[in-house]
Amino acid sequence: MAQIIVHPKTALVDVPLQIRVTGLLPSQLIMLQASLTDERGELFQSQVFYKADENGEVDLEHAGALGGDYVGIHPMGLFWSMKPKKMLSRLLKRDVINSPFLVHLSVYDITKPFSSSPDSLMASETVERWYSTPGVQRIQLKEGRVRGALFLPPGDGPFPGVIDLFGGIGGLVEFRASLLASHGFATLALAYFAYDDLPKNLDVIDIEYFEEAADILLRHPKVFGTHPLVSAFLSSPLLLSIGMAMATFLKQVAATVCINGVFLAEQVVIKYRNEKFFSFSQHLERLRINELGLLAFYSAVGNPQEEANKHGLLPVERAEGHILFIVGEKDYSVNSKIHAEQVMEQLRRHGKNNATLLSYPGAGHLIEPPYSPLCVASMNPFIPRPVLWGGETIPHAEAQEHSWKEILKFLRHHLTPTSISKL
Amino acid sequence: MVQLIVTPETALADEPICIRATGLNPFQVVTFTASLTDEKGKLFQSRAFYKANEAGNVALDQAAALGGDYVGVHPMGLFWSLKPVNPFRRLLKQDVMNSPFYIQLDIFDSLLLEDSPKIHPKASQMIERWFSGPGLQRIPVRNGRVRGAFFLPPGEGPFPGVIDLFGGIGGLIEFRASLLASHGFGVLALAYFAYEDLPRSLLEVDLEYFEEAANMLLHHPQIQRSGIGVISVCKGAEIGLAMAIHLEQVAATICINGTNAVHETPCKYRDLVISPIPHQKEYTQIHVSGALNFRRIKGDPRDEVNQQSVLPVEKARGHILFIVGEKDECLNSKAYAEQAMEQLKSHGRSNGTLLSYPGAGHLIEPPYSPLCFASWNPFLSRPFLWGGDIRSHAAAQEHSWREIQKFLRCHLAPSRSKL
Repeated sequence: MAQIIVHPKTALVDVPLQIRVTGLLPSQLIMLQASLTDERGELFQSQVFYKADENGEVDLEHAGALGGDYVGIHPMGLFWSMKPKKMLSRLLKRDVINSPFLVHLSVYDITKPFSSSPDSLMASETVERWYSTPGVQRIQLKEGRVRGALFLPPGDGPFPGVIDLFGGIGGLVEFRASLLASHGFATLALAYFAYDDLPKNLDVIDIEYFEEAADILLRHPKVFGTHPLVSAFLSSPLLLSIGMAMATFLKQVAATVCINGVFLAEQVVIKYRNEKFFSFSQHLERLRINELGLLAFYSAVGNPQEEANKHGLLPVERAEGHILFIVGEKDYSVNSKIHAEQVMEQLRRHGKNNATLLSYPGAGHLIEPPYSPLCVASMNPFIPRPVLWGGETIPHAEAQEHSWKEILKFLRHHLTPTSISKL
Repeated sequence: MVQLIVTPETALADEPICIRATGLNPFQVVTFTASLTDEKGKLFQSRAFYKANEAGNVALDQAAALGGDYVGVHPMGLFWSLKPVNPFRRLLKQDVMNSPFYIQLDIFDSLLLEDSPKIHPKASQMIERWFSGPGLQRIPVRNGRVRGAFFLPPGEGPFPGVIDLFGGIGGLIEFRASLLASHGFGVLALAYFAYEDLPRSLLEVDLEYFEEAANMLLHHPQIQRSGIGVISVCKGAEIGLAMAIHLEQVAATICINGTNAVHETPCKYRDLVISPIPHQKEYTQIHVSGALNFRRIKGDPRDEVNQQSVLPVEKARGHILFIVGEKDECLNSKAYAEQAMEQLKSHGRSNGTLLSYPGAGHLIEPPYSPLCFASWNPFLSRPFLWGGDIRSHAAAQEHSWREIQKFLRCHLAPSRSKL
């Protein structure tokens, strides 16, 4: 009798699973399916075809998928290849403390794949994927101007502090902060527009707001040292990299991770105390629409190397901490690689070597923690058409796995008390 | 005053038109849009952003689009980059005789990403794209077993006769037949399953059915007697190739993105039965869009075990034109066409030509047809991936259509002696 054996059945969402199907006939063709219904009731699914070995088993560590949402040996492929039933939906966990995503794994005997008649279900199993470990605390933050949620690891601490920023969708996205807290970082998921009583739009970015947030974080009894890290992630080319601005201006920032960011002021003004960086012209007439009607912004975003854009460049050579750039080369919303390379070049010209660039061929814009499904396009509340983020499924998944490990390594390395005191 | 000048306003769907805008501000960024509502009420749209010159003009045959659905100088770009507002819908004219596609061309004096009821175009022009020329006749066919629609050009003739076959979605698709007939050919759009009283699904290909259709065409008083042509795509092209081999009535065959072997369904002709190479559905792949990619489900005709399914193309008496889109995601058309050409060469035959188009997808249609990258299929629960890069696909359609007509005129000329 067929069985799915999964281990562990309950885990953090960035923990890989061992999945085996047993009790099949030798060389039997099966379809493995993973399904998840998100908090809005949207269905996400992946379907893959395997052939059992001579023992009637399929072990995802060794078996190569023949077809479906991916091919080849990919033990966690069922997770990162899930696609929404309703196109353009993005998988995004809202409640990161009280509930996991339930993923249903099922095995079907395939007689007529993709026809409208249902196939025969042979076995199924459910796993829990959590965005926080037991003991992680979530504290709603509303102090001064600062709005967000602070995630504390279990225990007394003190812990290194991190500020987590998401991009152009506004609001408060918490899942990465809760995961970082689960790995021992006191993380502040910080909102900066379209949340609570914060401005609805982003016209002026006042770095002093972020400085206020950094100071609040540093004052917390469970956060050590005098330097938190900023983790910046931009999902819209119409915003600038606040993380880079923080790294440039704030002494409190010891280490910055910039994922697919833009380092110029776009249509917004960045200000810090009495310094201002004005926007430069975008070229929206260079927007491209792909064969499925999705909007690619990358050619519309100004090129940092153009003369006209020089006054929009941030003086990144003033950054005292370390910077890690993570770039997806198939990012269709921003030409992230050009921007990261421009900053690296600017630092080099000023004799600085405090930055590292990790460039991932085939990865798109939305590089998230491992096993997150690739979201190749989605609706952005501020843009009338669906936005193409880009990415090729398998390289994107590999980039997520690799970059997450590098991010945790980078944070641990640069936020230890000894490395901080060197600043 | 802004003006949009389009000539001609009424034309055959495969004819290019001239689009110009005047009366703009110098160097102003403008948006051109094209909108079409098909016979099912579904909206298709395209847009491109241009910059006026110093005289405040934009001529699409000279100006380069800066962004939108295409970039660069493409006078007909607004047509071949039309996209359905609801993805995965295919643009397909049903009534080819009595009505055109009406396309509204608009120009806006700003960058417009999406239609807005508050923003009105500065100028508009409605144009008509017809799938049949004046005087063309459409005769429904219900002769013996044969089902389809016969398109006869105006005049006495005799005209070269052509059978037009579409592929695995079945039914009767007429638009290519009516367009071809508008260029002076007598064309029979032939259905072979999922149409009227024909079988609902394709369980076998009986070449005698196609022979009946070929004879019917040849015996028409206004059709040339010296042999007919076949234009065929996808599964139709597999059948077309089998017709070229077994039916002496066929003098010229065009195979668009087809196979060189019998796949999935047996093919029979009188006593001969060719067993098929079965599909292996476990090799279906799912594209990032969720569409199904069937390119790898067909077995390899070069495998030892599949030899009896390979079509003996060297036995074809007439000429064969293989048209291939290298970005065909439905099947590996390039490999199959190359194998067929290789087979001809190894038998000392030189009656085959291969036109291979980099960047073109599966659905190579008459010029200015929008690229259908993926669409819903009546037999599947998910959309089906056809593939293609928009610009290269458009160029392939323009080039191949000219070549198709040249090929048919050359090999169906009445002066050619009977085969």
